[in-house]
Amino acid sequence: MSEPTEVRAAAPPRPPGAPEPAPPAGRSVAARATLAGTAVSLLLITAIVLGSRLLRDFDSALLPYAVATVFLAFGVAYRYTVWVSAPGARRLFKKGFGSFFSAANFKKAPTALPRMITTYLGFQKFLGARSRARWAAHQLIFWGCLLAAAITFPLTWGWFTFTSGSGSGPGYEMRIWGIKVLGFNSLNILGWLMFHGLDIAAVLVIPGASYFLWRRMKDRGAITGQRFAYDLLPLICLIVISVTGLLLTFSSIFLHGGGYEFLAILHMVSVVFTLIYIPFGKFFHIVQRPAAVGMQLFKYTARQDEQVFACKRCGEPIDTTPYVENLRGTMRDLRLDFNAFVEYCPRCKRILRGNAYLTHVKKGFK
Amino acid sequence: MMGRTIFIDPGRCIGCQACVSACRECDSHRGKSMIHLDYSDPGQSVASLPTVCMHCEDPVAPCAEVCPADAILVTADGVVQQADTTRCIGCANCVNACPFGVPKIDLQAKLQMKCNLCYDRTAYGLAPMCATVCPTGALFYGTLEELQAERPGVQVADSFAFGDVVVSTGVAMVVPADKVQWPVPGGLPVVEVNGVDVR
Repeated sequence: MSEPTEVRAAAPPRPPGAPEPAPPAGRSVAARATLAGTAVSLLLITAIVLGSRLLRDFDSALLPYAVATVFLAFGVAYRYTVWVSAPGARRLFKKGFGSFFSAANFKKAPTALPRMITTYLGFQKFLGARSRARWAAHQLIFWGCLLAAAITFPLTWGWFTFTSGSGSGPGYEMRIWGIKVLGFNSLNILGWLMFHGLDIAAVLVIPGASYFLWRRMKDRGAITGQRFAYDLLPLICLIVISVTGLLLTFSSIFLHGGGYEFLAILHMVSVVFTLIYIPFGKFFHIVQRPAAVGMQLFKYTARQDEQVFACKRCGEPIDTTPYVENLRGTMRDLRLDFNAFVEYCPRCKRILRGNAYLTHVKKGFK
Repeated sequence: MMGRTIFIDPGRCIGCQACVSACRECDSHRGKSMIHLDYSDPGQSVASLPTVCMHCEDPVAPCAEVCPADAILVTADGVVQQADTTRCIGCANCVNACPFGVPKIDLQAKLQMKCNLCYDRTAYGLAPMCATVCPTGALFYGTLEELQAERPGVQVADSFAFGDVVVSTGVAMVVPADKVQWPVPGGLPVVEVNGVDVR
Protein backbone atom coordinates (compact mmCIF):
# COMPACT_ATOMS: atom_id res chain seq x y z
CA MET A 1 0.00 0.00 0.00
CA SER A 2 1.63 3.28 -1.03
CA GLU A 3 1.36 6.69 0.61
CA PRO A 4 -1.22 9.06 -0.92
CA THR A 5 0.02 12.41 -2.17
CA GLU A 6 -1.70 15.67 -3.05
CA VAL A 7 -2.27 16.63 -6.67
CA ARG A 8 -1.01 19.84 -8.18
CA ALA A 9 -1.60 20.84 -11.78
CA ALA A 10 1.43 20.53 -14.02
CA ALA A 11 2.56 23.60 -15.96
CA PRO A 12 1.32 23.54 -19.57
CA PRO A 13 3.98 22.81 -22.22
CA ARG A 14 5.69 25.82 -23.82
CA PRO A 15 5.28 26.04 -27.58
CA PRO A 16 8.49 26.25 -29.62
CA GLY A 17 9.77 29.80 -29.97
CA ALA A 18 7.66 31.13 -27.11
CA PRO A 19 9.32 33.68 -24.79
CA GLU A 20 11.01 32.54 -21.61
CA PRO A 21 8.31 32.01 -19.00
CA ALA A 22 8.09 34.02 -15.78
CA PRO A 23 9.75 32.47 -12.71
CA PRO A 24 7.88 29.35 -11.65
CA ALA A 25 4.73 30.02 -9.64
CA GLY A 26 6.07 27.77 -6.90
CA ARG A 27 8.91 30.19 -6.13
CA SER A 28 6.67 33.23 -5.85
CA VAL A 29 4.18 31.29 -3.76
CA ALA A 30 6.97 30.20 -1.42
CA ALA A 31 8.18 33.80 -1.18
CA ARG A 32 4.67 35.09 -0.44
CA ALA A 33 4.11 32.32 2.08
CA THR A 34 7.40 33.10 3.84
CA LEU A 35 6.46 36.78 3.93
CA ALA A 36 3.00 36.00 5.34
CA GLY A 37 4.48 33.63 7.92
CA THR A 38 7.09 36.16 9.01
CA ALA A 39 4.52 38.98 9.21
CA VAL A 40 2.10 36.92 11.32
CA SER A 41 4.91 35.72 13.61
CA LEU A 42 6.15 39.29 14.15
CA LEU A 43 2.58 40.40 14.80
CA LEU A 44 2.18 37.68 17.43
CA ILE A 45 5.50 38.56 19.10
CA THR A 46 4.38 42.20 19.25
CA ALA A 47 1.01 41.15 20.67
CA ILE A 48 2.77 39.01 23.30
CA VAL A 49 5.07 41.85 24.32
CA LEU A 50 2.27 44.43 24.48
CA GLY A 51 -0.36 42.08 25.95
CA SER A 52 1.97 41.01 28.75
CA ARG A 53 2.58 44.69 29.60
CA LEU A 54 6.11 44.70 28.18
CA LEU A 55 6.73 41.18 29.54
CA ARG A 56 5.93 42.17 33.14
CA ASP A 57 3.15 39.54 33.22
CA PHE A 58 5.06 37.04 31.08
CA ASP A 59 5.73 33.77 32.89
CA SER A 60 9.21 32.69 31.84
CA ALA A 61 8.45 29.09 32.85
CA LEU A 62 6.07 29.04 29.91
CA LEU A 63 8.61 30.38 27.42
CA PRO A 64 8.91 27.11 25.38
CA TYR A 65 5.13 27.14 24.88
CA ALA A 66 5.17 30.78 23.76
CA VAL A 67 8.02 30.12 21.33
CA ALA A 68 6.11 27.12 19.94
CA THR A 69 3.05 29.32 19.31
CA VAL A 70 5.24 31.71 17.30
CA PHE A 71 6.42 28.77 15.18
CA LEU A 72 2.79 27.66 14.95
CA ALA A 73 1.77 31.12 13.70
CA PHE A 74 4.51 31.03 11.06
CA GLY A 75 3.60 27.52 9.92
CA VAL A 76 -0.12 28.19 9.75
CA ALA A 77 0.29 31.44 7.80
CA TYR A 78 2.82 29.75 5.47
CA ARG A 79 0.68 26.72 4.73
CA TYR A 80 -2.51 28.78 4.47
CA THR A 81 -0.88 31.04 1.87
CA VAL A 82 0.33 28.03 -0.13
CA TRP A 83 -3.11 26.44 0.17
CA VAL A 84 -5.08 29.46 -1.06
CA SER A 85 -2.65 29.92 -3.96
CA ALA A 86 -3.96 26.79 -5.73
CA PRO A 87 -6.75 27.63 -8.23
CA GLY A 88 -9.53 25.67 -6.53
CA ALA A 89 -8.78 26.95 -3.05
CA ARG A 90 -8.16 30.52 -4.27
CA ARG A 91 -11.65 30.71 -5.74
CA LEU A 92 -13.18 29.07 -2.68
CA PHE A 93 -11.35 31.56 -0.50
CA LYS A 94 -12.44 34.58 -2.57
CA LYS A 95 -16.06 33.51 -3.08
CA GLY A 96 -16.34 32.18 0.45
CA PHE A 97 -15.03 35.23 2.24
CA GLY A 98 -16.81 37.49 -0.30
CA SER A 99 -20.10 35.91 0.82
CA PHE A 100 -18.96 35.94 4.44
CA PHE A 101 -18.45 39.71 4.52
CA SER A 102 -21.19 40.67 2.03
CA ALA A 103 -23.59 43.28 3.43
CA ALA A 104 -26.17 42.29 0.78
CA ASN A 105 -26.06 38.67 1.95
CA PHE A 106 -26.39 39.78 5.55
CA LYS A 107 -29.47 41.85 4.69
CA LYS A 108 -31.02 38.97 2.72
CA ALA A 109 -30.40 36.27 5.29
CA PRO A 110 -29.17 37.77 8.57
CA THR A 111 -29.42 34.51 10.50
CA ALA A 112 -27.77 32.30 7.88
CA LEU A 113 -24.16 33.00 8.85
CA PRO A 114 -24.51 32.61 12.65
CA ARG A 115 -26.60 29.48 12.08
CA MET A 116 -23.98 27.95 9.78
CA ILE A 117 -21.14 28.84 12.15
CA THR A 118 -23.03 27.20 15.01
CA THR A 119 -24.21 24.07 13.23
CA TYR A 120 -21.23 23.58 10.89
CA LEU A 121 -18.21 24.74 12.88
CA GLY A 122 -19.54 24.37 16.43
CA PHE A 123 -21.79 21.32 16.52
CA GLN A 124 -20.53 19.80 13.24
CA LYS A 125 -23.92 18.42 12.26
CA PHE A 126 -22.46 16.96 9.08
CA LEU A 127 -20.34 14.57 11.13
CA GLY A 128 -23.54 13.19 12.67
CA ALA A 129 -24.68 12.28 9.16
CA ARG A 130 -21.45 10.30 8.70
CA SER A 131 -21.62 8.45 12.01
CA ARG A 132 -23.11 9.31 15.41
CA ALA A 133 -20.25 7.73 17.31
CA ARG A 134 -17.68 9.68 15.33
CA TRP A 135 -19.69 12.86 15.83
CA ALA A 136 -19.80 12.34 19.60
CA ALA A 137 -16.08 11.54 19.78
CA HIS A 138 -15.20 14.55 17.61
CA GLN A 139 -17.36 16.84 19.73
CA LEU A 140 -15.48 15.71 22.84
CA ILE A 141 -12.13 16.41 21.18
CA PHE A 142 -13.34 19.70 19.68
CA TRP A 143 -14.72 21.23 22.88
CA GLY A 144 -11.84 19.86 24.93
CA CYS A 145 -9.23 21.36 22.60
CA LEU A 146 -11.14 24.64 22.34
CA LEU A 147 -11.27 24.92 26.12
CA ALA A 148 -7.59 24.04 26.45
CA ALA A 149 -6.60 26.55 23.76
CA ALA A 150 -8.73 29.31 25.30
CA ILE A 151 -6.91 28.79 28.62
CA THR A 152 -3.35 28.03 27.61
CA PHE A 153 -2.69 30.37 24.73
CA PRO A 154 -3.44 33.60 26.64
CA LEU A 155 -1.64 32.19 29.69
CA THR A 156 1.55 31.40 27.80
CA TRP A 157 1.45 34.81 26.13
CA GLY A 158 1.17 36.51 29.52
CA TRP A 159 -2.24 37.93 28.65
CA PHE A 160 -4.04 36.22 31.55
CA THR A 161 -2.70 36.62 35.05
CA PHE A 162 -4.06 35.44 38.37
CA THR A 163 -3.14 37.45 41.46
CA SER A 164 -4.07 37.23 45.09
CA GLY A 165 -3.24 39.47 47.96
CA SER A 166 -4.03 36.83 50.58
CA GLY A 167 -2.90 33.41 49.29
CA SER A 168 -5.61 30.89 48.48
CA GLY A 169 -9.18 31.71 49.35
CA PRO A 170 -11.10 34.91 48.63
CA GLY A 171 -9.46 37.84 46.93
CA TYR A 172 -8.25 36.03 43.82
CA GLU A 173 -8.27 38.19 40.73
CA MET A 174 -8.15 37.31 37.09
CA ARG A 175 -6.65 39.98 34.87
CA ILE A 176 -6.54 40.24 31.11
CA TRP A 177 -3.83 42.55 29.75
CA GLY A 178 -3.44 43.80 33.32
CA ILE A 179 -7.08 44.79 33.67
CA LYS A 180 -9.12 43.06 36.37
CA VAL A 181 -12.06 41.18 34.82
CA LEU A 182 -13.03 38.79 37.59
CA GLY A 183 -12.66 38.47 41.35
CA PHE A 184 -13.34 35.09 42.95
CA ASN A 185 -12.68 32.79 45.85
CA SER A 186 -10.14 30.19 44.77
CA LEU A 187 -11.65 27.63 47.16
CA ASN A 188 -15.23 27.77 45.87
CA ILE A 189 -16.69 26.04 42.82
CA LEU A 190 -15.77 28.86 40.42
CA GLY A 191 -12.21 28.79 41.71
CA TRP A 192 -12.07 25.01 41.30
CA LEU A 193 -13.34 25.27 37.73
CA MET A 194 -10.86 28.05 36.94
CA PHE A 195 -7.90 26.04 38.16
CA HIS A 196 -9.04 22.69 36.74
CA GLY A 197 -10.10 23.89 33.29
CA LEU A 198 -7.28 21.97 31.66
CA ASP A 199 -8.12 18.81 33.60
CA ILE A 200 -11.70 19.08 32.35
CA ALA A 201 -10.38 19.56 28.80
CA ALA A 202 -8.21 16.43 29.21
CA VAL A 203 -11.17 14.41 30.48
CA LEU A 204 -13.10 15.44 27.36
CA VAL A 205 -10.26 14.76 24.92
CA ILE A 206 -9.09 11.35 26.22
CA PRO A 207 -12.28 9.36 25.48
CA GLY A 208 -12.77 11.09 22.11
CA ALA A 209 -9.20 10.53 20.91
CA SER A 210 -9.17 6.98 22.33
CA TYR A 211 -12.32 6.11 20.40
CA PHE A 212 -10.74 7.33 17.16
CA LEU A 213 -7.53 5.46 17.90
CA TRP A 214 -9.50 2.27 18.59
CA ARG A 215 -11.41 2.81 15.34
CA ARG A 216 -8.17 3.27 13.41
CA MET A 217 -7.01 -0.10 14.73
CA LYS A 218 -10.24 -1.99 14.10
CA ASP A 219 -12.30 -0.40 11.30
CA ARG A 220 -11.21 -1.81 7.95
CA GLY A 221 -12.58 1.23 6.13
CA ALA A 222 -10.51 3.57 8.29
CA ILE A 223 -7.45 1.35 8.00
CA THR A 224 -7.57 1.52 4.18
CA GLY A 225 -4.86 3.95 3.12
CA GLN A 226 -4.24 5.30 6.62
CA ARG A 227 -0.82 6.74 7.37
CA PHE A 228 0.90 6.74 10.74
CA ALA A 229 2.08 10.35 10.65
CA TYR A 230 -1.18 11.71 9.28
CA ASP A 231 -3.87 9.59 10.93
CA LEU A 232 -2.44 8.05 14.09
CA LEU A 233 0.16 10.54 15.31
CA PRO A 234 -2.35 13.37 15.98
CA LEU A 235 -4.46 11.06 18.15
CA ILE A 236 -1.41 9.83 20.05
CA CYS A 237 -0.34 13.46 20.58
CA LEU A 238 -3.75 14.41 21.99
CA ILE A 239 -3.76 11.45 24.35
CA VAL A 240 -0.17 12.03 25.53
CA ILE A 241 -0.84 15.73 26.17
CA SER A 242 -4.06 14.98 28.07
CA VAL A 243 -2.66 12.12 30.13
CA THR A 244 0.54 13.95 31.11
CA GLY A 245 -1.57 17.03 31.94
CA LEU A 246 -3.79 14.99 34.23
CA LEU A 247 -0.74 13.34 35.79
CA LEU A 248 0.56 16.79 36.74
CA THR A 249 -2.61 17.38 38.75
CA PHE A 250 -2.37 13.85 40.17
CA SER A 251 1.22 14.48 41.20
CA SER A 252 0.45 17.75 42.95
CA ILE A 253 -2.63 16.41 44.81
CA PHE A 254 -1.66 12.84 45.65
CA LEU A 255 2.13 12.64 45.37
CA HIS A 256 2.98 15.99 46.95
CA GLY A 257 4.69 16.97 43.69
CA GLY A 258 6.54 13.67 43.20
CA GLY A 259 7.77 13.34 39.63
CA TYR A 260 6.29 16.73 38.81
CA GLU A 261 9.37 18.11 37.09
CA PHE A 262 9.73 15.09 34.84
CA LEU A 263 6.01 15.13 34.00
CA ALA A 264 6.13 18.87 33.33
CA ILE A 265 8.94 18.38 30.82
CA LEU A 266 7.17 15.42 29.17
CA HIS A 267 3.97 17.47 28.94
CA MET A 268 5.82 20.46 27.55
CA VAL A 269 7.63 18.40 24.92
CA SER A 270 4.37 16.80 23.75
CA VAL A 271 2.57 20.16 23.56
CA VAL A 272 5.43 21.91 21.74
CA PHE A 273 5.71 19.05 19.24
CA THR A 274 1.96 19.12 18.60
CA LEU A 275 1.85 22.89 18.16
CA ILE A 276 4.65 22.75 15.59
CA TYR A 277 2.98 19.77 13.88
CA ILE A 278 -0.41 21.51 13.48
CA PRO A 279 0.29 23.29 10.17
CA PHE A 280 1.75 20.21 8.50
CA GLY A 281 -0.61 17.40 9.40
CA LYS A 282 -4.21 16.48 10.00
CA PHE A 283 -4.74 19.31 12.48
CA PHE A 284 -4.52 21.80 9.61
CA HIS A 285 -8.20 21.11 8.95
CA ILE A 286 -8.89 23.26 12.05
CA VAL A 287 -7.53 26.23 10.11
CA GLN A 288 -9.06 25.20 6.76
CA ARG A 289 -12.63 24.55 7.85
CA PRO A 290 -13.86 28.11 8.49
CA ALA A 291 -13.41 28.95 4.79
CA ALA A 292 -15.93 26.22 3.99
CA VAL A 293 -18.65 28.16 5.83
CA GLY A 294 -18.22 30.92 3.27
CA MET A 295 -18.61 28.35 0.50
CA GLN A 296 -21.85 27.06 2.08
CA LEU A 297 -23.10 30.63 2.33
CA PHE A 298 -22.11 31.28 -1.30
CA LYS A 299 -24.32 28.41 -2.41
CA TYR A 300 -27.10 29.17 0.09
CA THR A 301 -27.59 32.78 -0.96
CA ALA A 302 -27.68 31.83 -4.66
CA ARG A 303 -30.32 29.19 -3.89
CA GLN A 304 -32.36 31.83 -2.05
CA ASP A 305 -32.33 33.84 -5.29
CA GLU A 306 -33.41 30.69 -7.15
CA GLN A 307 -30.31 30.77 -9.32
CA VAL A 308 -30.32 27.04 -9.98
CA PHE A 309 -28.42 25.55 -12.90
CA ALA A 310 -30.21 22.61 -14.52
CA CYS A 311 -28.57 19.82 -16.52
CA LYS A 312 -28.77 20.68 -20.21
CA ARG A 313 -29.87 17.16 -21.07
CA CYS A 314 -32.21 15.91 -18.34
CA GLY A 315 -33.14 19.18 -16.63
CA GLU A 316 -32.24 17.92 -13.15
CA PRO A 317 -30.67 20.66 -10.98
CA ILE A 318 -26.86 20.44 -10.84
CA ASP A 319 -26.11 23.26 -8.41
CA THR A 320 -26.42 27.03 -8.29
CA THR A 321 -25.56 29.08 -11.38
CA PRO A 322 -22.78 31.10 -9.67
CA TYR A 323 -21.29 27.83 -8.38
CA VAL A 324 -21.23 26.30 -11.88
CA GLU A 325 -19.61 29.47 -13.23
CA ASN A 326 -17.06 29.38 -10.42
CA LEU A 327 -16.21 25.74 -11.12
CA ARG A 328 -15.83 26.38 -14.83
CA GLY A 329 -13.51 29.27 -13.96
CA THR A 330 -11.44 26.96 -11.75
CA MET A 331 -11.20 24.45 -14.58
CA ARG A 332 -10.17 27.18 -17.02
CA ASP A 333 -7.45 28.24 -14.55
CA LEU A 334 -6.26 24.64 -14.49
CA ARG A 335 -6.47 24.29 -18.30
CA LEU A 336 -9.02 21.51 -17.93
CA ASP A 337 -10.58 22.38 -21.25
CA PHE A 338 -13.54 20.06 -20.99
CA ASN A 339 -15.25 22.50 -18.62
CA ALA A 340 -18.31 22.64 -20.93
CA PHE A 341 -19.16 19.20 -19.54
CA VAL A 342 -19.96 20.83 -16.18
CA GLU A 343 -23.30 21.83 -17.72
CA TYR A 344 -24.35 18.16 -17.69
CA CYS A 345 -25.16 16.11 -14.62
CA PRO A 346 -22.91 13.12 -13.82
CA ARG A 347 -25.49 10.59 -15.05
CA CYS A 348 -25.95 12.39 -18.37
CA LYS A 349 -22.17 12.55 -18.81
CA ARG A 350 -22.05 8.78 -18.46
CA ILE A 351 -25.00 8.29 -20.83
CA LEU A 352 -23.45 10.63 -23.41
CA ARG A 353 -20.19 8.69 -23.21
CA GLY A 354 -22.07 5.37 -23.41
CA ASN A 355 -23.97 6.55 -26.48
CA ALA A 356 -20.76 7.78 -28.11
CA TYR A 357 -19.24 4.34 -27.48
CA LEU A 358 -22.34 2.71 -29.00
CA THR A 359 -22.30 4.94 -32.05
CA HIS A 360 -18.62 5.31 -32.80
CA VAL A 361 -16.69 2.49 -31.15
CA LYS A 362 -18.52 -0.77 -30.82
CA LYS A 363 -21.67 -0.69 -32.87
CA GLY A 364 -22.30 -4.40 -32.30
CA PHE A 365 -22.71 -3.50 -28.63
CA LYS A 366 -26.24 -2.27 -29.45
CA MET B 1 1.36 2.96 -18.15
CA MET B 2 -1.16 0.22 -17.57
CA GLY B 3 -0.30 -2.20 -14.82
CA ARG B 4 -2.78 -4.35 -12.97
CA THR B 5 -6.06 -2.55 -13.53
CA ILE B 6 -9.72 -2.91 -14.50
CA PHE B 7 -10.62 -3.47 -18.15
CA ILE B 8 -14.23 -2.57 -19.01
CA ASP B 9 -16.02 -4.23 -21.89
CA PRO B 10 -19.54 -2.76 -22.16
CA GLY B 11 -20.28 -5.25 -24.94
CA ARG B 12 -20.21 -8.05 -22.37
CA CYS B 13 -22.32 -6.24 -19.75
CA ILE B 14 -25.77 -7.76 -19.24
CA GLY B 15 -26.88 -5.16 -16.67
CA CYS B 16 -27.31 -7.77 -13.92
CA GLN B 17 -26.20 -5.35 -11.17
CA ALA B 18 -23.98 -7.95 -9.49
CA CYS B 19 -21.15 -5.39 -9.51
CA VAL B 20 -23.40 -2.79 -7.89
CA SER B 21 -24.28 -5.18 -5.06
CA ALA B 22 -20.72 -6.40 -4.59
CA CYS B 23 -19.39 -2.83 -4.48
CA ARG B 24 -21.57 -2.20 -1.41
CA GLU B 25 -19.56 -4.84 0.42
CA CYS B 26 -16.27 -3.00 0.00
CA ASP B 27 -14.85 -2.14 3.41
CA SER B 28 -13.86 1.39 2.49
CA HIS B 29 -17.46 2.48 1.76
CA ARG B 30 -19.58 -0.22 3.34
CA GLY B 31 -23.30 -0.12 2.46
CA LYS B 32 -22.86 2.31 -0.41
CA SER B 33 -22.17 1.27 -3.96
CA MET B 34 -19.70 3.40 -5.86
CA ILE B 35 -20.06 1.76 -9.26
CA HIS B 36 -22.54 3.21 -11.76
CA LEU B 37 -24.54 1.01 -14.08
CA ASP B 38 -26.40 3.04 -16.68
CA TYR B 39 -28.84 1.92 -19.32
CA SER B 40 -28.30 4.16 -22.28
CA ASP B 41 -31.67 3.77 -23.94
CA PRO B 42 -34.01 1.93 -21.58
CA GLY B 43 -37.00 0.34 -23.28
CA GLN B 44 -35.29 0.44 -26.66
CA SER B 45 -31.98 -1.25 -26.01
CA VAL B 46 -30.56 -3.68 -23.46
CA ALA B 47 -27.19 -1.94 -23.68
CA SER B 48 -25.75 -1.09 -20.29
CA LEU B 49 -22.55 0.63 -19.29
CA PRO B 50 -20.72 0.01 -16.02
CA THR B 51 -18.63 2.96 -14.86
CA VAL B 52 -15.89 2.75 -12.27
CA CYS B 53 -13.40 5.51 -11.50
CA MET B 54 -11.06 5.72 -14.48
CA HIS B 55 -8.14 6.91 -12.28
CA CYS B 56 -7.10 9.66 -14.70
CA GLU B 57 -3.37 9.89 -15.32
CA ASP B 58 -3.04 12.81 -17.74
CA PRO B 59 -4.29 15.29 -16.70
CA VAL B 60 -3.79 13.60 -13.37
CA ALA B 61 -7.05 13.30 -11.45
CA PRO B 62 -9.04 16.40 -12.51
CA CYS B 63 -11.27 15.75 -9.47
CA ALA B 64 -8.25 16.24 -7.21
CA GLU B 65 -7.05 19.28 -9.14
CA VAL B 66 -10.33 21.18 -8.68
CA CYS B 67 -10.67 20.17 -5.02
CA PRO B 68 -10.29 23.33 -2.94
CA ALA B 69 -9.48 21.37 0.21
CA ASP B 70 -6.77 19.06 -1.20
CA ALA B 71 -9.00 16.23 -0.04
CA ILE B 72 -8.45 13.80 -2.91
CA LEU B 73 -5.10 12.11 -2.73
CA VAL B 74 -3.39 9.94 -5.31
CA THR B 75 -1.23 7.00 -4.30
CA ALA B 76 2.10 6.37 -6.01
CA ASP B 77 0.54 3.41 -7.82
CA GLY B 78 -1.83 5.84 -9.59
CA VAL B 79 -4.98 5.07 -7.62
CA VAL B 80 -7.10 8.18 -7.06
CA GLN B 81 -8.45 7.75 -3.56
CA GLN B 82 -11.84 8.87 -2.35
CA ALA B 83 -11.95 12.14 -0.41
CA ASP B 84 -10.15 12.29 2.91
CA THR B 85 -12.98 12.57 5.44
CA THR B 86 -11.11 15.16 7.48
CA ARG B 87 -10.58 17.49 4.57
CA CYS B 88 -13.64 17.08 2.34
CA ILE B 89 -16.03 20.04 2.64
CA GLY B 90 -18.72 18.64 0.36
CA CYS B 91 -18.45 21.41 -2.24
CA ALA B 92 -19.13 18.95 -5.13
CA ASN B 93 -16.40 20.41 -7.34
CA CYS B 94 -15.06 16.90 -8.01
CA VAL B 95 -18.54 15.55 -8.74
CA ASN B 96 -19.18 18.11 -11.43
CA ALA B 97 -15.67 18.40 -12.85
CA CYS B 98 -15.15 14.66 -13.44
CA PRO B 99 -15.63 14.11 -17.17
CA PHE B 100 -16.67 10.51 -16.54
CA GLY B 101 -19.40 11.38 -14.00
CA VAL B 102 -17.89 9.17 -11.31
CA PRO B 103 -17.80 10.77 -7.82
CA LYS B 104 -20.88 10.72 -5.63
CA ILE B 105 -21.69 13.14 -2.85
CA ASP B 106 -23.60 12.92 0.42
CA LEU B 107 -24.79 16.49 0.93
CA GLN B 108 -25.88 15.88 4.53
CA ALA B 109 -22.53 14.40 5.47
CA LYS B 110 -20.71 16.92 3.25
CA LEU B 111 -18.60 14.10 1.94
CA GLN B 112 -17.56 12.90 -1.48
CA MET B 113 -17.25 9.19 -2.13
CA LYS B 114 -15.97 7.39 -5.17
CA CYS B 115 -14.55 4.14 -6.45
CA ASN B 116 -11.04 3.70 -5.07
CA LEU B 117 -10.36 0.49 -6.97
CA CYS B 118 -11.23 -1.38 -3.74
CA TYR B 119 -7.90 -0.23 -2.32
CA ASP B 120 -8.34 -2.38 0.77
CA ARG B 121 -8.20 -5.37 -1.60
CA THR B 122 -6.10 -4.31 -4.59
CA ALA B 123 -3.29 -3.01 -2.36
CA TYR B 124 -2.89 -6.63 -1.24
CA GLY B 125 -3.17 -8.18 -4.71
CA LEU B 126 -6.86 -9.10 -4.58
CA ALA B 127 -9.29 -8.15 -7.37
CA PRO B 128 -11.85 -5.39 -6.74
CA MET B 129 -15.30 -6.54 -5.64
CA CYS B 130 -16.99 -5.65 -8.95
CA ALA B 131 -14.53 -7.59 -11.12
CA THR B 132 -14.65 -10.53 -8.72
CA VAL B 133 -18.39 -11.06 -9.15
CA CYS B 134 -18.97 -9.95 -12.77
CA PRO B 135 -20.41 -13.11 -14.42
CA THR B 136 -19.60 -12.12 -18.01
CA GLY B 137 -16.17 -10.56 -17.71
CA ALA B 138 -17.43 -7.08 -18.57
CA LEU B 139 -15.22 -5.99 -15.68
CA PHE B 140 -11.86 -7.76 -15.77
CA TYR B 141 -9.06 -7.14 -13.28
CA GLY B 142 -5.49 -8.00 -14.14
CA THR B 143 -2.73 -7.02 -16.52
CA LEU B 144 -3.18 -6.51 -20.25
CA GLU B 145 -1.19 -9.69 -20.83
CA GLU B 146 -3.55 -11.65 -18.58
CA LEU B 147 -6.54 -10.21 -20.44
CA GLN B 148 -5.05 -11.05 -23.82
CA ALA B 149 -4.13 -14.56 -22.67
CA GLU B 150 -7.75 -15.10 -21.72
CA ARG B 151 -9.20 -13.29 -24.75
CA PRO B 152 -6.79 -13.66 -27.68
CA GLY B 153 -6.70 -10.66 -30.02
CA VAL B 154 -8.53 -8.32 -27.68
CA GLN B 155 -7.52 -4.65 -27.85
CA VAL B 156 -7.92 -1.94 -25.24
CA ALA B 157 -7.78 1.86 -25.13
CA ASP B 158 -6.83 4.03 -22.18
CA SER B 159 -7.44 7.49 -23.63
CA PHE B 160 -10.70 9.35 -24.03
CA ALA B 161 -11.49 12.42 -26.10
CA PHE B 162 -13.60 15.22 -24.64
CA GLY B 163 -13.73 17.68 -27.50
CA ASP B 164 -10.11 18.63 -28.18
CA VAL B 165 -8.90 17.31 -24.85
CA VAL B 166 -7.59 13.78 -24.50
CA VAL B 167 -7.65 12.25 -21.04
CA SER B 168 -5.41 9.24 -20.36
CA THR B 169 -6.60 6.90 -17.68
CA GLY B 170 -5.38 4.09 -15.48
CA VAL B 171 -8.48 2.02 -16.22
CA ALA B 172 -8.96 0.90 -19.82
CA MET B 173 -11.84 -0.07 -22.10
CA VAL B 174 -12.03 -2.89 -24.59
CA VAL B 175 -12.28 -1.59 -28.17
CA PRO B 176 -12.36 -3.15 -31.64
CA ALA B 177 -8.90 -3.63 -33.20
CA ASP B 178 -9.42 -0.85 -35.75
CA LYS B 179 -10.25 1.71 -33.02
CA VAL B 180 -7.28 1.09 -30.79
CA GLN B 181 -5.15 3.94 -32.16
CA TRP B 182 -7.83 6.52 -31.44
CA PRO B 183 -9.05 7.90 -28.14
CA VAL B 184 -12.47 6.60 -27.17
CA PRO B 185 -15.06 9.40 -27.61
CA GLY B 186 -16.05 10.72 -24.20
CA GLY B 187 -19.33 12.33 -25.28
CA LEU B 188 -18.07 15.88 -25.87
CA PRO B 189 -18.78 17.98 -27.87
CA VAL B 190 -22.46 17.33 -27.38
CA VAL B 191 -24.08 17.52 -30.79
CA GLU B 192 -27.63 16.61 -29.94
CA VAL B 193 -29.72 16.80 -26.80
CA ASN B 194 -33.08 15.07 -26.64
CA GLY B 195 -33.37 15.07 -30.44
CA VAL B 196 -32.43 18.73 -30.77
CA ASP B 197 -29.24 19.70 -32.58
CA VAL B 198 -27.21 21.83 -30.17
CA ARG B 199 -24.16 22.43 -32.38
